[in-house]
Amino acid sequence: MEALKHAVDFSDFKRIDLTVAGALMIFFIVFPITSHSSFAMSTMIQFFMFSLYGMGWNTIGGYGGQVDLGKAQYVGIGAYTTAVMLVRWDTPFWVSMPIGVLLSVSWSFIIGYPLFRLKGHYFAIATIATSLVLKDLFEVWNFVGAARGLEISPIDFQPPDFIHLIFKHDVYYYYVILAFFIIGLLYMNWFRKSRLGFQLRAIKDNEAVAASLGINVHWAKIKTYAIATAFVSVVGSFHACYIKNIEPEDTMSLDISILIALMAMLGGAGSLWGPIIGAGILIPIKSYLKEWLGGMAGLAGIDIIIYALIIMIISAKEPRGVWGIIEKWRQRRGQN
Amino acid sequence: MDILIGSLAAGILIGMVLALVALGLTIIFGVMDIVNFAHGEFLMIGMYTGLLTAQATGVDPLLTLPVAALVGFVLGIGCYALFVRFLLRGPMVAQLLGTFGLMLLLRNLTLLFFGAEDRALHHGILVGKSFELGMGVIVPATKLAAAAFSVLAFWGIWLLMNRTKLGKALTATALNAQGARYVGIDTERMNALAWGIGGATVTIAGALLVNFWSVNPYVGLLFCMIAFAIVALGGFGSVPGAFFAGLIVGLITELPGIWDFVTYTFDVDWMSQVPMTSFKYMWVYVAYFLIMVVRPRGLFGWKH
Amino acid sequence: MKLLEITNLTKTFGGLTANDNISFAVDSAEILGLIGPNGAGKTTLFNCISGHLPITSGRIVFDGADITALSSYATARRGMARTFQVYAAAGDLTVLENVMVGCFMHTRRRSQAERRARRIVAQFNLTPMADSQVRQLPVAAQKRVTMATAIGTRPKLLLLDEVAAGLNPSEINEITDFINHIHHQMGISVILIEHVMALVMNISRRVVVLNYGQKIAEGRPDEIIKNPNVIQAYLGRRYAAAQEG
Repeated sequence: MEALKHAVDFSDFKRIDLTVAGALMIFFIVFPITSHSSFAMSTMIQFFMFSLYGMGWNTIGGYGGQVDLGKAQYVGIGAYTTAVMLVRWDTPFWVSMPIGVLLSVSWSFIIGYPLFRLKGHYFAIATIATSLVLKDLFEVWNFVGAARGLEISPIDFQPPDFIHLIFKHDVYYYYVILAFFIIGLLYMNWFRKSRLGFQLRAIKDNEAVAASLGINVHWAKIKTYAIATAFVSVVGSFHACYIKNIEPEDTMSLDISILIALMAMLGGAGSLWGPIIGAGILIPIKSYLKEWLGGMAGLAGIDIIIYALIIMIISAKEPRGVWGIIEKWRQRRGQN
Repeated sequence: MDILIGSLAAGILIGMVLALVALGLTIIFGVMDIVNFAHGEFLMIGMYTGLLTAQATGVDPLLTLPVAALVGFVLGIGCYALFVRFLLRGPMVAQLLGTFGLMLLLRNLTLLFFGAEDRALHHGILVGKSFELGMGVIVPATKLAAAAFSVLAFWGIWLLMNRTKLGKALTATALNAQGARYVGIDTERMNALAWGIGGATVTIAGALLVNFWSVNPYVGLLFCMIAFAIVALGGFGSVPGAFFAGLIVGLITELPGIWDFVTYTFDVDWMSQVPMTSFKYMWVYVAYFLIMVVRPRGLFGWKH
Repeated sequence: MKLLEITNLTKTFGGLTANDNISFAVDSAEILGLIGPNGAGKTTLFNCISGHLPITSGRIVFDGADITALSSYATARRGMARTFQVYAAAGDLTVLENVMVGCFMHTRRRSQAERRARRIVAQFNLTPMADSQVRQLPVAAQKRVTMATAIGTRPKLLLLDEVAAGLNPSEINEITDFINHIHHQMGISVILIEHVMALVMNISRRVVVLNYGQKIAEGRPDEIIKNPNVIQAYLGRRYAAAQEG
């Protein structure tokens, strides 16, 4: 299949990029076997999760240039679908997750149609609005536990459950999310070379011109939004099984939406590696800051202050993110 | 019936204050096309300023307004000069995330210095007093005063924008920055000034609000979103738009009261099952969404 | 059969009439020039024809079908391509990628799009810069990229909006060759907005002249340059009077 060929073809990157990527991949695969703290393991798992969130966002926000700040609602739909179905009906993850995706994508089409008639700031604020509405709804809806949230009951030490994705040891979660990560990366590699990917980039540059080339701009955006939604929903479902305790404030807040957008922006929106780089920088920082500083009495909030400063500096100095810096540096070197 | 009048009155009064909150946002957007996520935090800082000044000096909270205005003005200009003006060069996603970072910074600095507890005002000539508007409707004096000052502030801003040379320069910059520069207007100064005025109006709103709304470092976000909705509804950049949209949004937040009125008057059973109070602010977001779909320019908007 | 038929096309913006009751037709094997002083409404007319602007009244029939109400992407899919005046191709994409966007209109498969794009890139002498970002190219090359991208969509009719603007004489010659190639070798009809008289009079079979939103003349190039209305439009009444008197 041609699509598969494109998915695994990374040849348009420089050799050094691929070498680094390859080395990192080996590191990822081997990591759990080496000695490490459980804290490091959970940070790595979060890194993969947020890389995937960021990759999803990157389709519509990076390549498409439509700043979507409401992705958290789909984290919620994915997470709650899996959690509710697990708690009430003992549904396997591999059933509840696709259902979650179906629900998320359906919702994304419903609101996508009106949403994408907006542009720029208006669009961004509208995405925030829909996400907050959904969060408020979940906070009063008793079927999903309202504001208390849902808890997946404590696990006795059973053998690893791949059907329901409930494990006692993090290492199983690690490899599952790593598998998703690799699939996601291959998909994104295909996406950026696909017809839709090209259409998006044309749209991002100039919508009138894109339309004159036969691109149905509105529909292309909606399709891409659905793809982004699917990504986020899958990881949301995983999140439910991993964290085992979800509530609207944690999974669907504005902070989560912003964090997702930030992954891609920090690393380089519109590039393949961007979200991964962004997650690679931001998640460890966030985790370690919280560990060291968040707990200290009287210094509550300092971790967020540092995190906020990072956001501000990147936004002001290099909005094209780390990958943008790398490309700029390479261009300058190439000209000498 | 008095529930209805009471709700309507409350809605209009709070609407005027909300309109003032939104005023700064619309001015800033009008002049330089940037959406300020930190706007809610400016409000929160205004609330703290009003509260702490009143508690420290013992003066009546209403007299703290000038202090709040000054703090807001300096804060606005400071944020612009030290940070925001660097954002203007970048793409929109960077601007949005940048002001979001500013929001987190201001919120958590406040948390660091003042702690997370709720604080409220307990003294002042108006606190605890109410007016009766007839028909059994009772309105707290603090809310009435807040609304009155809001109207005054709006009038003042309107005068500024339309009757002074400075205001015209600001409007010119808002309409066409390039053109404004050609006629010798220093648009950098205009931008900073827009932030200063925007900051001052919202901190005044905060100092008014704190008379009847307790403050903690987290109140900013809710008001920020409400302000966004008002600005979008009224039209980004429109001062009268902010006023009327504010009234409408104020009424929307009183929807539970009106809902109850309809429920009890017409004895509609299913309506009483719906926990409208929890949805108070959700309807604001829904309204925003609907407006954007139906009439993106808002009521009075001239910018798109 | 006429490829394109415009009947009584009028476009108003509030109080301003940008296009006033314009009618003309384009054959299926024709290069038509569209000239007129600045502000005459030429680009607006293009925008109306290509579906980027809704028209106030009138009818547009393209390739036998009424396209009056169609949006720009639907019009493009029926075989009408255009270039834009103030636009220099998607800056971020490379030359090849730009042309591929055009080619993707007729295929879903990247390999197919890429193959066709490479061929078109070669036809437009852009192969040496195929992998360069468009924004880094000189103006003449950028113009060729916009044309190449439009060709990628397999149009029957190509609307070129001031494609020679900003080019020096030798570049103008070069682009004239390309337009001829598009027309004669590829069989694509062309409507050409131009201010560079040498180009448009040279290459067009017929010319339509607009002034203040109205069509003031239509005919062969040699007729048009002698037309007193046209002279008056460009050079003023006094000059025209001086010519006659």
